[in-house]
Amino acid sequence: MGNRVLMRFRSWLAALIAPVVLTVDGADTKRVSFNRDVRPLLSEYCLNCHGFDDKTRKGGLRLDQREDALRGGKSGHAAILPGKSLESEIVRRILTTDPDEVMPPPKMDRPLTAAQIDLLKRWVDQGAEYEPHWAFMPPATPPLPEVRKKDWARGPLDLFVLANMEKEGLEPRPEADRPTLIRRATLDLTGLPPTPEEIDAFLSDGSSEAYERVVDRLLASSRYGERMAVDWLDAARYADTHGYHIDSARDMTAWRDGVIRAFNDNQPYDQFTLEQLAGDLLPEATLDQKVASGFNRNHMITYEGGAIADEYHTAYIVDRINTTATVWLGLTVACAQCHDHKYDPITMKDYYGLYAIFNGVPENGLDGRHGNAVPIVQLPSPQQDAERRRLETAVATAEARLKVELPNLDTDQQAWESKAIADADAPKEATDKKPKLPEAVLAALKAERSARTAEQAAAVRKHYLDEISPEMRRLREEAKAARKAKDDFERAIPNAMVMGEMAKPRDTYVLVRGQYDKKGDKVDRALPAALPGLPEGSQANRLGLARWLVAKDHPLTSRVTVNRFWQMYFGNGLVKSAENFGTQGDLPTNPELLDWLATEFVRTGWDVKAFQKRILMSATYRQDSRAPRSLYERDPENRWLARGPRVRLQAEFLRDLALSVSGLMDPRIGGAAVFPYQPSGLWEELMSRSDNDSFTAQKYVPSRGADLYRRTMYTFIKRTSPHPSLSNFDAPDRQVCTVRRPRTNTPLQALALMNDPTYVEAARQLAARVLQERKDPKARIERLFRLAVGRSPSAAETKVLVDLQRDQQTAFAQKPENARSVLAVGEYTQVFDDPVEAASWTVVASTVLNLDETITKN
Amino acid sequence: MNGLNASSDLPRLLTRRHFFGRMSAGIGAAALASVMNPDLFASPAGGILPGVHFTPKVKRVIWLFMSGGPSHIDLFDYKPGLKQHHGEQLPGSIRMGQRLTGMTSGQTSFPCVAPMFEWKQHGRSGLWLSELLPNMGRVADDLCVVRSMWTEAINHDPAVTYIQTGHQQAGRPALGSWLSYGIGSENRQLPGFVVMISQGSGNKTDQPLSTRYWGSGFLPGEHQGVRFRSQGDPVLYLSNPPGLEDNGRRRMLDAAGQLNSMAADAFGDPEINARIAQYEMAYRMQASVPELTDLSGESAATLAAYGVRKDGVDGGFARNCLLARRMVERGVRFVQLFHRGWDQHGDLPRQIRGQCQDVDRPSAALIEDLRQRGLLEDTLVIWGGEFGRTVYSQGSLTKDNHGRDHHGRCFTVLMAGAGVKAGFSYGTTDDYCYNIVENPVHVHDLNATLLHLMGIDHTRLTFKFQGRQFRLTDIHGEVVRAILS
Repeated sequence: MGNRVLMRFRSWLAALIAPVVLTVDGADTKRVSFNRDVRPLLSEYCLNCHGFDDKTRKGGLRLDQREDALRGGKSGHAAILPGKSLESEIVRRILTTDPDEVMPPPKMDRPLTAAQIDLLKRWVDQGAEYEPHWAFMPPATPPLPEVRKKDWARGPLDLFVLANMEKEGLEPRPEADRPTLIRRATLDLTGLPPTPEEIDAFLSDGSSEAYERVVDRLLASSRYGERMAVDWLDAARYADTHGYHIDSARDMTAWRDGVIRAFNDNQPYDQFTLEQLAGDLLPEATLDQKVASGFNRNHMITYEGGAIADEYHTAYIVDRINTTATVWLGLTVACAQCHDHKYDPITMKDYYGLYAIFNGVPENGLDGRHGNAVPIVQLPSPQQDAERRRLETAVATAEARLKVELPNLDTDQQAWESKAIADADAPKEATDKKPKLPEAVLAALKAERSARTAEQAAAVRKHYLDEISPEMRRLREEAKAARKAKDDFERAIPNAMVMGEMAKPRDTYVLVRGQYDKKGDKVDRALPAALPGLPEGSQANRLGLARWLVAKDHPLTSRVTVNRFWQMYFGNGLVKSAENFGTQGDLPTNPELLDWLATEFVRTGWDVKAFQKRILMSATYRQDSRAPRSLYERDPENRWLARGPRVRLQAEFLRDLALSVSGLMDPRIGGAAVFPYQPSGLWEELMSRSDNDSFTAQKYVPSRGADLYRRTMYTFIKRTSPHPSLSNFDAPDRQVCTVRRPRTNTPLQALALMNDPTYVEAARQLAARVLQERKDPKARIERLFRLAVGRSPSAAETKVLVDLQRDQQTAFAQKPENARSVLAVGEYTQVFDDPVEAASWTVVASTVLNLDETITKN
Repeated sequence: MNGLNASSDLPRLLTRRHFFGRMSAGIGAAALASVMNPDLFASPAGGILPGVHFTPKVKRVIWLFMSGGPSHIDLFDYKPGLKQHHGEQLPGSIRMGQRLTGMTSGQTSFPCVAPMFEWKQHGRSGLWLSELLPNMGRVADDLCVVRSMWTEAINHDPAVTYIQTGHQQAGRPALGSWLSYGIGSENRQLPGFVVMISQGSGNKTDQPLSTRYWGSGFLPGEHQGVRFRSQGDPVLYLSNPPGLEDNGRRRMLDAAGQLNSMAADAFGDPEINARIAQYEMAYRMQASVPELTDLSGESAATLAAYGVRKDGVDGGFARNCLLARRMVERGVRFVQLFHRGWDQHGDLPRQIRGQCQDVDRPSAALIEDLRQRGLLEDTLVIWGGEFGRTVYSQGSLTKDNHGRDHHGRCFTVLMAGAGVKAGFSYGTTDDYCYNIVENPVHVHDLNATLLHLMGIDHTRLTFKFQGRQFRLTDIHGEVVRAILS
């Protein structure tokens, strides 16, 4: 962002808030903070009617800007008299008991509490200073805080965390033991558990760099790219079907694989942003960059019979705006589709300025019936490319032959003419079965050849060539077959949906109340006026938008991004509302840390891997998650970070863990989506029956062999019927952009982990593995534990499982047929010498796979 | 009543009990005790609301959703005068340039079609119904008929999404999810929001369904509708793997419980105790769900009344209706059936007859059965689809055949049971069943009314997401007081 731009940004801020108070005196605990204390109150109770949106403003009063609040509304009373709370209209109207006067109006049924009123009064008495919303000010590197526990921090990150902890009177936990630490780091950076060999290597590495070596190894693993991609696929609403109505298949796997590669190659996040949003517009864009631009083609697409193209084209653009704003700006701009935003400085005009930026894609409102919707790029392999060129040549040759005059044309035509005239003169019954000649041709035939007009001769010739000549028919059929061969082949070439720009973009209008068919004023492409302007030399198009997002001083992109990264490790972001940094969003629990992380991220060239390493190397991250229950109760969400993170694995990594420890997992990266076990009929019950045969992705046909055991991120995602192993465990259905998953704990999850054939089969293979690798029951249990949770079991734990195994052995011995049934689950066949023993160990392995510690990052 | 507006703020969620599932990341000791001790759940609670806003007249809802858009013209909205207009072009003064779907907007001819069926009056209320619904006639005096429903949507996907979630585009929670979130479940061994699907015999190219129609949108996933299926396990993964008997499962759960308890002590994390409790609940469901879906205890008379086939292989609407009754008996709060096949673009006279044969007997039997068991006093049954159908023919009109396109300007929804007037009709359409002339009821109004009947002010059951307080009715919706009893 250039100086000029900064000036413009600052002048906007100055207009919005008169005196800018950037610091709050920490010594005076009674001092009210506008951003922390007052803005949420105003936002929650007042600004709906006295805010930014002038169409819904009541009484002409505006409370979001100090100047207006001091002036007051139509009544002429100053809403706020700084220093004099009891004389201020804002306080008087809250305190009054007159139902016609009291605020908020009684019908809202939301009176302020005594504490809230006290806060407001103190704020007015202290001068009613406003502050700009923190997230709209560019982050500055904050000074490092003073801490008491000087020997704990491993870097600035920890100092900020510790300062917060000390303010809360909390102490950090000691570092987690090594098995816990390596399991946590491996799950976090690869989505897979560490192998016992990896754990042993770490345990036996006596050097002071042992842990760093682990982190470096994980960051260099190609599993890292897969892990990082999963969260990006949520944000990008990536799926394998179109989502609306028939919900047939699309293929964006090339885009998905590009994301994995980008993370593995450690593409800087600014470049990644440019390519995801506008790869197609980069100078001399490569095929990969064009494919990357498919980020904003991942939205749902319809071709429902009877749907109106304009209505859905509008929906696609709206989705792009909302997704882009959520992912990069951390702002909800959707409100401004219908009216000026009530809380954040986004006008309806701003919204349609963005709309115009996304309105130039050469796409159709209704599309996708036959797979990907235009615009697409084809992605042929070299062999396919050669074959396509061969088929193109064949088409050209066949079409050229149609234009060459046939040998013996005149003779052949004359022969036909004589016959045709004879037929025409024959008795009626005999000609009934023959196709009738057109009147004009018949008339021409009846004339002497020499007497025909040029027009008549042409008509006869044309009729002969088009309808009669067997040679021409053959050539036409050859050309048609060549075209079909080429078209069929091209359809089978993989492609990807991408962004593109029309030579002449569509006109964009403000849509009245957001309705696609109510066009208002025409608008040009533009960025939100209240945020910084375009960087020097950029145009107001998608590429300009992307450059603007990653401009050095952009207040939001870096904060929003590092916050999402933080959330991956600690369960919650420093700003809990990862999707909303606006005035209605949550305040950061540690604003200085957030700004430090954001500025460091930009300073280091948006280096994504370096950023992950910074978190993993911190003392904060390395803390033990074993803590007194009182700490869990005091801070259930770990907002103060006085213990290590402890959260259940996300859907994909839960199943991956089972596949991995059982040895079933197929390691291939990328490629076509796969179809693991799914209860039969789940899709078919929802699909239109006749469409089963007319459309793709209507019948679920499970994969065979290795594809059954691919990492879960490759499971085919059908938006109208997501795989239960995903939806049961809070994975979004990818219908809209999601940057924060909930984490629930339900009995349906327990049923799935116990009974889903995927987990039963994995338990059996895990049993087979330990049966083969260890002979003694206790050693087997030790092995099971180390595979699943990374540590060795205690004697008490071992005893529980030894007893369980013994009891199950007895039970299965009484009913060996049961043992054989348990062992028969799943496609993978494993032969056991002793089925009874194997079944009993399968139950033990299943028990271990169901443990809270197994399904949790500890 | 301050503080009714919930937010995404986790600690606030955690201060309240929730039945069927919970957000992870900590659970208070009191909540844990309640999970462990079933008695504590005997009192109604479990949602985010500390209490309902009004005394609820309805405790449970069964929504018989007729997917595809049943023709109000042929079934419920009797216009004897239409016969005179049969075959005539729909007057411009009636159509008023309203938008049509892409399926008929290109038609040059819009001939009006009078129903090709006879009509009969029923009950003391004298309700007119198509001859295709003889059994529904028996419960005419239980019905509250709203003939003035309307929606802006004109295609299936947006229209069903709209009536279920209050928004035409994806991403919002369904009504049942809002209820689960707001007031929880009455029965902790069964989910509070159940969905069942059946196939109609009418349109074989029937419309697809989406899990979005019972999805939890931005609410936590535990509030999504749980599909009860007629093939395989009624609830996904309910059965133990083959060869693992109940005592084996019990033994395994005991071992897992012991190990998890040790972990709870070591880590200090109450989440582990919650995990133990959820596994125990899963175990109880393995008994309670089969008990629920086992119809062998139902009398032959009951099975015959619903039209359920005795061999139990019937996976259709009748069985689902009977299961719905069994669910509300056990305290399931919201049961939603989807019956497909109502999309009569062509061949309407034959198809709608089949559809009515599917649903007429079971729908009536359900209402009568609920009444006999005293359940109709606090259970509401709703019957209807996402929109109605056009008075004009889609495609050509012949002596005995025609089709009808989608029509959102008006359609009919039936209700019966708690909270609504019985033997009552509301709303009037014009002579062509095309526009509403009196008392329009928007889909938002229907949803506002349903929440009201459940004791909830629709403007005050909200969830803060992306910086905004969202609610089922968006910024719209008026309770239709005229139909309340």
